[in-house]
Amino acid sequence: MKRRVGRAVVVGAGIAGIRAALDLAEVGYGVTLVDRAPHPTGLLGRLDSQFPTDRCGLCRMLPRIERDAASAHCLRRGFFHERIDLRLNTEVAAIEGEAGRLRVTLRRVSGGVDPERCVGCGRCAAVCPVETPDAFNAGLTLRKAIDRPSPHAFPDAYALDPEACTRCGACLEACPTGAIRLPGAERRSFRILVVDDELSVRDSLKEWLEAEGFSAAMAASGPEALAALEAESFHLMLLDIKMPGMEGVEVLERAKRMRPALDVVMMTAYATVETAVEAMKIGALDYLIKPFDVASLIPKVAERFERFAAAEDLPLTAAAVVLCGGSEGYDPLSGKNPFGYGALAGVLTQLEFERLLSGTGPTGGRLLRPRDRQPVGRIAWIQCVGSRDLQEGADFCASICCMASIKEALRAKAVAGAELEATIFSMDVRTPGKSFQRYRERAEELHGVRFVRARPHSVTRGPEGKGLRIRWVEAGGGCREESFDLVVLAVGRRPAPVVAEAAERLGLALNPWGFLVPEPFSLCRTAHPGILIGGTCGGMADIAETVIQASAAAAEASLRLHAAGGGAAEEEKPPAALSEHPAGEPPRILAVFCRCERSADAPALPDPVLHALRRDPEVAAVEPVAPLCTAEGRLGLAALLSRAGANRLLLGACRLLRHPSPLREIEEASGLPAGWIETADLALWAGETRPDAHDARFALQSGLVRLKNAEARETEAIPITRAALVVGGGVAGMTAALAVADHGVAVDLVEAADRLGGNLAWLTRTLEGHPVPSLREDLEARVKRHPRIRLHTRSRVVQAEGEVGSFVTLLEGPQGDVRRIEHGVVILATGGREAPVHGFGRGESPAVMTQAELERSLSAGTLEAAALEAVVMIQCAGSRREPRNYCSRVCCPTALRQIAALRERRPGLRAAVLYRDLMTPGFAETAFTRARQEGVLFIPYRPERPPEVRPAGRAAVVTVEEPILGRPLEIEAQLVVLAAGVVPTLPRELAEAYGARLDRDGFFEEADPKWRPVDGLKEGVFACGLALSPRTIPEAVATAQAAAVRALAILGRERLPSGRIVARIRRSLCSLCEQCIEACPYGARRLDPERRQVVVNPVMCQGCGACAAVCPNDAATLEGFSARQMFGVIEAALG
Amino acid sequence: MGVTARLEMGQGDRTAAVRGFLRRLLDSQAVGAVLVAQPLPRKRLRMPTLVTDPERLEGADPFSPCFAVNGARLAARLSRKPMGVRWAAVMRPCEVRAFIEMVKLKQAGTDEAVLISFDCPGAYPTREFLRTGGAETAGDTERFLRQAFSGEAPDPGLSPACRACEHPVPPFTDVHIGLLGGEAGTFLQIEGRTAAGEALIAAAALPPAEPLPSREAALGALIARRAAARDELFARTEAAVATIEGAAAYFADCLLCTNCRVACPVCTCRECVFATDVFEHDPFHVLRLAERGGLLKLPSDTLFFHLTRLAHMSTACVGCGQCSNACPQGIAVMEVFRTVARRTQQAFGYEAGRSLEDPPPLAVFREEEFTEAVGIPAAPAGGGGPGRTPGSEGGRG
Repeated sequence: MKRRVGRAVVVGAGIAGIRAALDLAEVGYGVTLVDRAPHPTGLLGRLDSQFPTDRCGLCRMLPRIERDAASAHCLRRGFFHERIDLRLNTEVAAIEGEAGRLRVTLRRVSGGVDPERCVGCGRCAAVCPVETPDAFNAGLTLRKAIDRPSPHAFPDAYALDPEACTRCGACLEACPTGAIRLPGAERRSFRILVVDDELSVRDSLKEWLEAEGFSAAMAASGPEALAALEAESFHLMLLDIKMPGMEGVEVLERAKRMRPALDVVMMTAYATVETAVEAMKIGALDYLIKPFDVASLIPKVAERFERFAAAEDLPLTAAAVVLCGGSEGYDPLSGKNPFGYGALAGVLTQLEFERLLSGTGPTGGRLLRPRDRQPVGRIAWIQCVGSRDLQEGADFCASICCMASIKEALRAKAVAGAELEATIFSMDVRTPGKSFQRYRERAEELHGVRFVRARPHSVTRGPEGKGLRIRWVEAGGGCREESFDLVVLAVGRRPAPVVAEAAERLGLALNPWGFLVPEPFSLCRTAHPGILIGGTCGGMADIAETVIQASAAAAEASLRLHAAGGGAAEEEKPPAALSEHPAGEPPRILAVFCRCERSADAPALPDPVLHALRRDPEVAAVEPVAPLCTAEGRLGLAALLSRAGANRLLLGACRLLRHPSPLREIEEASGLPAGWIETADLALWAGETRPDAHDARFALQSGLVRLKNAEARETEAIPITRAALVVGGGVAGMTAALAVADHGVAVDLVEAADRLGGNLAWLTRTLEGHPVPSLREDLEARVKRHPRIRLHTRSRVVQAEGEVGSFVTLLEGPQGDVRRIEHGVVILATGGREAPVHGFGRGESPAVMTQAELERSLSAGTLEAAALEAVVMIQCAGSRREPRNYCSRVCCPTALRQIAALRERRPGLRAAVLYRDLMTPGFAETAFTRARQEGVLFIPYRPERPPEVRPAGRAAVVTVEEPILGRPLEIEAQLVVLAAGVVPTLPRELAEAYGARLDRDGFFEEADPKWRPVDGLKEGVFACGLALSPRTIPEAVATAQAAAVRALAILGRERLPSGRIVARIRRSLCSLCEQCIEACPYGARRLDPERRQVVVNPVMCQGCGACAAVCPNDAATLEGFSARQMFGVIEAALG
Repeated sequence: MGVTARLEMGQGDRTAAVRGFLRRLLDSQAVGAVLVAQPLPRKRLRMPTLVTDPERLEGADPFSPCFAVNGARLAARLSRKPMGVRWAAVMRPCEVRAFIEMVKLKQAGTDEAVLISFDCPGAYPTREFLRTGGAETAGDTERFLRQAFSGEAPDPGLSPACRACEHPVPPFTDVHIGLLGGEAGTFLQIEGRTAAGEALIAAAALPPAEPLPSREAALGALIARRAAARDELFARTEAAVATIEGAAAYFADCLLCTNCRVACPVCTCRECVFATDVFEHDPFHVLRLAERGGLLKLPSDTLFFHLTRLAHMSTACVGCGQCSNACPQGIAVMEVFRTVARRTQQAFGYEAGRSLEDPPPLAVFREEEFTEAVGIPAAPAGGGGPGRTPGSEGGRG
């Protein structure tokens, strides 16, 4: 295993931070991941399910490559990666310097629980007198000021809420391991000695200092002060100059001789200022002129304290910093219309509702109204509370709430029964993603979720205090009222406070809503080359887009690391040599038990349990040891093993040892391979009760039987061809090729056309106004001159085979010449194009054209704008209905941009947009607002009554049903523009040649639509750009960078090691029924027809065990889970 | 698809008529070999033989109530790799159904083998056949057929598997010979159900025929009678093995000889897991097991063996009864396997031997099934959840 030199800092451990950190760690870099919170995973840690699976899939982010570097358990509980230094309760105090050499200072949040020492016994929470709203449950339940941050945190360390803590100290006494530090404890440990002969001065200083949390001791004279300094240590002395007996200057001299490091501030009357200046020459730091007040004293003391505290700061050098500060929910109480939130029981935010539905929520997963616990029959969702709202200063779309509400409606029906009535009030139902529209329609048609196009006016208490009344205005103008049991506010999002702090510290630009502004054509670059935007602090996005964006930021960060010399590798310690421990050696097991020293009342193991171990002929010795969570305990293991002549190790300890990092140290200390060490959680920590004899016996016996039948083998590795093939030379393909090649890895870039650029060839500018042609020229020039990129234009893939690490592709060139390319990964960037569209007067009237056609004539200058009187944009012309039932995401913003472009050429041009739901997620909403302000007409139509177009000379007449008037409206326009949407151009044969699959619309099917959005299910195959889904240029660039960094995790090494737990085949037992091949979800098994054997690719195998389950006769086995081991575990469980 | 043809019966001997058909197949070189049961010199049992010489079809006696081995096992071995010629296998419906399962478990191939089945009259347990003398000659076989298809109560000596078999006609085969109804007429109804089957009928130059209505009626009555016997068998067996204690008592005499698994046509493992190191218990382990109750019956793992075999093959069990036939202890193994197999196959909407297309249930993963067993409620949207497709990661959340 090799580790690259270099480190990046990722700020914020939500999903974006975790994704960026994992990507960098998988490429091989060290990462420091910091978060202020005591538990990672941010917002997603609190959501039980995500659409479209309506389940949680966080764990799918865990590495598949070199997966043993990470702990493979539930990410919501916490996570571990050997190259990620996760620092919770930590914030960034400073970032200075430039890309490649950033100096980052980390500081622990004041007060908290040391997770390394906390054993999760809960005594602190039991004695804590403070109850406070539980942030994990969005305030719906109470927790103690010191409590578990989430019910599933692992290791289940407790956390302290500094806001709620009253510093009573009860928990300090209860904690058996001394793991707790009260907030402000740092100030209390800063000791100040006040030396003054006047009692009133001493008293007021003591009062002031202690009110600020400092410790202050008093001395009335010089000798008294010196005596105090002799007896105790102080950090600061406030010393009066004019004192009877011994003068201040003399005290200073003698004090400095005794304690040279002591900081001294002189206190002086105006008359003796000169003396004070003299005093500074002999070592005083500063002086204060009497009479002084608290306001002038405290800053000076605080400044000294800061220096003292800074000694505990952690300075780091990093090549790049990825800011993943995230966002937080809008508080409805802060706005003009809170919709009864806070006043009426049953008005909740989305997050509160998610917690209400959760099995770990306040009602244990039953849907009951908070406070009165009444059953719920009707729920309303009100969208856009605090977003798409100029009054609230939120002229942007939060992008996530529409789909979240639909999912919540479905989840509510799943929890409370199908008869639950769910109504969603919204202006538009925004479904701008691949599967979103169908999900919405399923909700509507299959599950009866009701969608009402309205912005409700208010929520009030119903008649007789029952229910919640919602009033809204219908399309026709009438007013309507209905009662609901529960109202869920889909509140908007705001950037987290850290975003503004970071922007100010680093001089980064913020947009009017406080989000970071990325550079043109990028979602992650800032004006500072070393600082990257990860996740939603650059704008709101759903999970998949956040994950993509975070990976893109990781790709940029990786490039900074590479540029800063990160390519050089250093050797890591090799794993324990197996040759010393041949697998055939009979097991001789050493069983050891922690003697917990954290508390005097640590329990001991019951005798019968020990006896059962001792009589086992394969147990060589049973020994108590010093705690294994300490270095002392771990270092003693090797000697014990050799004394007992043992070759396997059974550890009886507490849950602390289940954490991967001490386990890894034990592996190193014992010199045994990982599979020959087993851990039994015996609850040997300072818990309240003795370990349960049955549980302890089970834990030990199951560990024992696993050891007896352990077959530790060398982990396998497969060779990697360190080269990438990128298919498609559009913006995504070029970006991906450059991102890989800039890391020094060879790339073959294949383009079917004779020139690079794809759709960039006809696009003029982005919605933000950045010119596209210059992007194309820049990318094309960089690709062409890049020494690591081989460009194959007018070429196509004719044949391909292979697996991750070793693909072989045959390319056919322009003259029919065939070239053989060997590569380790493939990135499919085959793009897409405007969908063909029929109807809407197309072909009948010269006035009707598609968006792409308009774009081309705009850039060619062939459009006679001056002749235009009116333009009509028809959105969803052929899309968002079967068979193309998805939103293409780009057409609504394009329509707005094209209207603006036309009006530049023809001021006063009348414009109308006929639409179903206007899809302007994120800041595209601003363009929508501007268009409305500038008099563009927006008329919604129903899909069953689409607009009709008939030719009228050179013009055309568009008829549409006007919902407010309730009758048809005719618009004569010289230009009718059809938004046809995007279709992919990914040939099925090409995808299948690499083992990739297409979805029903022909887009690349991701391994997981949310959590692995650019990976194929088959390892080593990636996709980006329009091949993945419709998207804008910056979004396509992000997918390309994401695909590149995912590819680099594979291409960064010569050989790719397998995980420790992989499937194997006992060939003598295999009857070649091939059921295991069918069952393998990762495509890691195939039949080798020549040898007539089933073979497993050890790297693609993820150790899931599906093959072992389907194999009837144990020919397919899973390392560490052999039948003998599992039988033994079951027997142990049965007692 | 399919053709129906007539096969002349001559002196009313169905066996002779079919021999003639098989002979025409060899003569016309439509097939290069025929797998068919016949008695061997100085032996009474009918064993499968691979016949290449048309003359050697003289003794072929496929309908004899002797069923010493499930021929699917042998046919599978012959078809797994190319033989070089097209060949025909004359097999009972349960053999054909087992063969279909073997194909799906990649243990048999359909490239060259053509399956010929017939209305099955059933058979005696091997020991019963030998004890009573069974059918010594072809003439005896014809008498047996008449009795079996007479519509009267079946011979109580017939194998319990056959008495409870509702598949006298297999759901899938290439060629099917209708023996039933042949008593009345002078010809047998023969169907080519697949392209390969049609080709054989064409090669034998058999004239077309209309389906015999009399056969349909007789078949319906036969199936109804057997289904009643089957349901009675299920009820009786379920009562006997409903509890672990009951099941342990049922298999108490088991020696773990594994003959049942050797005889089973759909037990496809090269070596049974019970014969591997997995079940070589350490002496200390056995001692601890004994200490639990103070006594341990040996050999151990006998009930476990049968439960494991049920877990492995009950989705493919065709109920041929060869397990009972093979048991030296006289345990009624088939009854348990059929009873359990009905449940497991119902659970997956699967029927062993029904078609080549239905994938074996355990090779398919469906996210939303057996929610009551796995404890995960179905996702409400039915969402992106994949259907019952092989190897979809979407399902492994």
